[in-house]
Parts: sequence; structure tokens; C-alpha cells
Amino acid sequence: MRKIFIILKREFLTKVFTKGFLIATILGPVFMIGIMLAPAYFMTLASEKSYKIGVVEQSSFFTEKLQEMYSDTLSSGEQRLIFFYISPQNYQETLESFKGKIEQGEIHALLIIPESVLDSARVTFIAKMVSNIDLIQQLRSGLSTIINNKRLQQAGFDPTQIKNLMSPVDIQTIKLQKGEEKERGFDQEFITALIFLMILYMTIILYGSSVMRSVIEEKSSRIIEILLSSLNSFQLMMGKLIGVGVVGLFQYLIWTGMAAMVFFFVTSSAPAMTDLIKVSPDIFIYFIIFFIIGFFTFSTLYAAVGAMCTDMQDAQTLSTPVTVLVVIPFIISFMVMRDPTTDVARVLSLVPFFTPLIMFLRILLIDTPRWEILLSIIINLLTIVLITWVASRIYRTGILMYGKRPTLPEIIRWIRTT
Amino acid sequence: MTENLAVDKISKSFDDFRAVDQISFGIHDNDLFGLLGPNGAGKTTTMRMIMNIIAPDSGEIRIFGKLFQSEMKNRIGYLPEERGLYSKMKLVNHLQFLGEMKGMSSSAARKIAYQWLERFDLSTWATRRIQELSKGMQQKVQFIGTILHSPDLIIMDEPFSGLDPINTKFLKDVLLDLKKQGKTIVLSTHLMDQAEKLCDSICLMNKGKVVVQGKLSEIKKKYHHHSILLEYSGKADFIKTLPYVQRVNDYGNYMEIRLRQDTQADLLFRQIAASDLHVKRFEMADTSLNEIFIDLLGN
Repeated sequence: MRKIFIILKREFLTKVFTKGFLIATILGPVFMIGIMLAPAYFMTLASEKSYKIGVVEQSSFFTEKLQEMYSDTLSSGEQRLIFFYISPQNYQETLESFKGKIEQGEIHALLIIPESVLDSARVTFIAKMVSNIDLIQQLRSGLSTIINNKRLQQAGFDPTQIKNLMSPVDIQTIKLQKGEEKERGFDQEFITALIFLMILYMTIILYGSSVMRSVIEEKSSRIIEILLSSLNSFQLMMGKLIGVGVVGLFQYLIWTGMAAMVFFFVTSSAPAMTDLIKVSPDIFIYFIIFFIIGFFTFSTLYAAVGAMCTDMQDAQTLSTPVTVLVVIPFIISFMVMRDPTTDVARVLSLVPFFTPLIMFLRILLIDTPRWEILLSIIINLLTIVLITWVASRIYRTGILMYGKRPTLPEIIRWIRTT
Repeated sequence: MTENLAVDKISKSFDDFRAVDQISFGIHDNDLFGLLGPNGAGKTTTMRMIMNIIAPDSGEIRIFGKLFQSEMKNRIGYLPEERGLYSKMKLVNHLQFLGEMKGMSSSAARKIAYQWLERFDLSTWATRRIQELSKGMQQKVQFIGTILHSPDLIIMDEPFSGLDPINTKFLKDVLLDLKKQGKTIVLSTHLMDQAEKLCDSICLMNKGKVVVQGKLSEIKKKYHHHSILLEYSGKADFIKTLPYVQRVNDYGNYMEIRLRQDTQADLLFRQIAASDLHVKRFEMADTSLNEIFIDLLGN
């Protein structure tokens, strides 16, 4: 045990006191936040532009109503949507020139509202790009409201009555969890799940391959035999696995500390944000449990692969099957995120290799029965024991083999020999 | 009397290749023991089996009278033929790590590491990374790592290979010093002159089998041949036909003559003196281990 600890200690110290660790620890969250915020940022960037729409109609009624409805401004103070009136005669004469203006981008679109619009509810939208679904959606609902109001007015309703009748539906999302009602939005849930999923996936794959690199390094620097003169290969492998695992947990600890600081800062400056980042402490405990399970499942395999390789080139080919085993659950987890209640998700969450990501997602998103969680943990622990047994046999023989890459029958023989 | 190291009929095969075949030897007192043989004789495999890095297919190994136990590794220092270092670690941290792995406390390992670095003239490098060290320095570090924990049994696989003359001398001095302290030392080498100067007893291996083993002095006595070096001018062909001459290596004016067993050299001396050969030198040479090696393995 003492020797395992010494290997663990060395592995920990040499991994933590590196520039790489420092950079990953600091840039990890930055990168993660970047991934989360980039789409939102680009979306605001795209809308940081005013949009000029010429409205062709008999009177300027719709032009004014629309402008009133969409009066939001950009950060520059300019209106986001600018509607201007074109009389039909004018339009008839200068249709060609307006088309030219659209081509040149001087104005962005033409909205043609015929006189019969109250009966037909049909308008024409001319633009260079008609795939701006957001805008068309907005125009549709805006015009519908205006037309409906107008129709109701014609039918004899007074404006206040109309306003009351037309009040929009407000959908409130409520999630049932352990009998209590929690008022949380789908977006928050989804983003929380996505963040945790990404961290779990990235760290498992990162630390798994770190174990592999460490094994190959010891092999190619030929220090392995010196180490084996002090302890046996199993102690060496376990020391290495636990050591790298502890590095991972240590990194989480730092991240949690950073998150706690950010949380403290945010809650004191903007209390409204609290709701968005509130995660129950159970989730952290499960997160650690499933990191440990995932890490040991995969990094033990990575250690075995490392023992088969002589250099990093070998590793690229030989580690592919293991990497596939990590990536497939990751891809499937997006499916699970969409609907965590399916039987497929339920079964996969109990299957080794899938459990760490999928069971964790289920716990995060739905009320998962405790016995299922416990069962998945037991199944996975047994699997880890089995994998460790197989891997330690591959490792034992592999670390002293140099030169040619072992074939599958050879590896099977390594496992079977006592 | 218990042997410090007893190897009893061990064998090891890799697939169809029999690397070690029924090898037995023992080291009685604190002899400096040489495991000799050409490349591929099975020396490294034998040493790995002694270290329990690989298990023999059959036979058993006793160290200090006992079968292998994991605590034993703390009493053994092993320098493998392929030796590596953690190149990114600091020198003293590396040695401390190796010492701790042999059961030393971290403070003791560090303290003794500094003592050895002092002795090996490396103390100014203690906090440098190993990759900054020259090759010769790295060899010294590897050597310190083997003996840092003051092992009772020291096993070194080709310790002299790749060493420069200064480090070779250094290593030899330290080995003899350790021997004086009562440590048992096993080293393998294919350099016979090195072994001849250092070892008290040897085991000569070839193709996985023991060819000869025992005290070096006894082996030399047993396989001793009268070899004569002759520097001459004139016709010396008659020497080749003499009945007691076993073999002749003639270079024209220099000749190596091997006599048959139980032949006195003076017989040849008188015969040459009686001939009209002009003799510049007539020298009786000692049989080197290298010659014995070639004799035993050559045929």
C-alpha cells in the first residue's frame, strides 16, 4: 500500500506542478463559458444591425402600427426595425428602383399589404434573404395582431375589451422532483446538464489519455524495469491510476472553488442570476461518483493500451477502440438529454461504459429511482474490478515488450497466462 | 551454510524460444559474482527472474534462504540493462522517489541522496532537471539509484556498457567498496577482461544453459593452457608439426603457440634452441578468461 501511495504521490506532484495543468485549470472554465456564450454572442452580433422595411399600403396605418409594436432599439440607440411608408402609386412607378435598392442592401425588404388584407389576410414579403425565420415570425404575429384587432374593432368591440380578450398565453414551466414542485426553466436545466456533461466527458477522456501517455513514457524511457525492481506491476498500475484520478478530483476542487467565488460575486451583485446557476449539492456528489466510475473504467483500459504501445504513434491507432467507447455514450447522451424518460436511456444508464454519462444525465434531468442509481453503481464497480483484472495482466506483460505491436491472439494469451 | 542467492534449475521459455534452460548457481559468501555470456545467452532473463519481474516456468530461486517475498525487493538493488530516468524530474526528487520506493522514509532518502551526490560530484546539479544532465552524469544517477537504499544484494545487468573510462573506474571502485562492506554483488557482462579483474566467481552461460561455473581462480586453473608467445625470424614451420603442440597462430614473425595439456613449456624451449631459428622473445602467457570463453563456446 505504501508503495502504491509513493507512485500516486509522484504522479500527482509531477502532473499538478506543470504549466499544462495550470493552463488547463484556468482555461478550462474559460473555454467552457466560451462554448456556452458564443452562440448567444453571435446571435446578438447578428441583430446589432437595423433592418429597413418598406411597407407598401394604401394608408400608413400598418407602417405606424408595426413601428409602434417593434420599438426596441439597438445598443447604438438606433431602432432595430425601421418601417417606412411607400404609397402604392409611388410603388408602382418605382418598383424597379426599389428592387435595385434591395439588391444593393440600402433597404432590406418590402412588405406589400393589399387593401383586401382584412378579408384575405395575405401579404407579400420581398427580400434578398427570406430565410430570416425570426423576422418573418415576428412580422406574422405582429400583422396578425393588428389585423385581428382591426377586425374586432369593425365587429363593434371597444379597444379595452379587445386588449383583455387578446392577452397572450403565458406558459410557466414546472418540474416535478421528489414530490416537490420546482419552478425552473427548460433552458436552465438544459444548460446545467450540458455544462456537467461536457466537463464529465472532457475530463474522463483527458485524464484517461493522460494515464496512457504516462505508461508509454515510462516504457519508452525504460524506467519501467527499475520501478518493477521495487514493486509489482499491479501496484504500479494502481498507483498511477489513482494518482491521475486524484489530479482530476483536485482540478474539480479548484474549479468548484472558482465557481463558488463567481457564484458569490454574482449573487451579491445580481441576485436575479441566482436561480440560473442553482444546482443542488446532490448533483455534485453524483458528479464525483460518476467521474470516479468513468475515470477508472476508461483509464484502466487506456493503461492497458499504453502497455501495448512502444511510442505515441502506436497509441494513436491502438487507443481508437477505447476512444470510441467514450465517444458513443457521449453522442447518445444528447439523445437522452432530449428525452431522458425513454426505456433506451433507462437501460443504457445501467450498462457499463454508458453509465457515467447517461445515468448522470438522468439523475440531473428526471427523478431517477434510487435503486436504479445504486444498481448502476454496483454493476459498474464489478465491471471495474473485471477490467482491472484483465488490464493488469495485459499491463504486466506489455510493459516489458518492445518492438512489434502485439496481435489479438497474443494479447489473449497474456491475459490467460498466470 | 545458506547461500545469499541460490538459483535452482530455473527455466523460462518465450513462445517456442527457450531463453533459460535449467540454470542453477549459488553465491556462497559475499563474492562478487559474474554472470557471463555472449549476447542472447539468457543473462537478462535470469536476472529478471531473480528480481521476480518475470516468473520462471519451473525451478526456484531463494534469496537469503527464502523464496521470493515482496518485502525482499527493499533489500535488493537492481540496475537493469535498459535503464531509464524520469527526465523531467529534478535530480534529488528522482533519487528520493527511488529511495522511498525501497521503503526509506522521504527524509532519509533525501539525506542519503545528497551524500551520494556529493561523492559522485553531482551536488551542484541536485535541483536541476535530469534532462539537463549529460549522459555520463545520468549514468551516475542511475547507479546511485541502485544503491541508495544500501541493499544487501546488488544485481547489475551490464553495468559497464556505455560508460566512459572515468565512470567505469568510479563504478568499479564503488563496487569493491560495497563488497568490503559485505554486500553480495551479481553483475552480468559480456566483457571478459572486466569480469576477470573484478569477479571472484562466475557462471558462464550460453544459449540459456550453464557452460561452466565456480570460483574464477579454479576455473582458470582447470582450463589453463600453456600459451607461448614467440617473436622470431627464420623458418618456424617445424613447430606446427611437433606432437605436443595443439594449435599455432602464425603471423610471420610472431607466433602464438598453444601446447597440449600436461606439456612443459621447456620442452618446446629446448627444441627451438636446438634449431637455427632466431628468437627475439619467448614468453609464457597466462590464459585469459576471454580465451577460455572462446575455447568453451567456439566449438
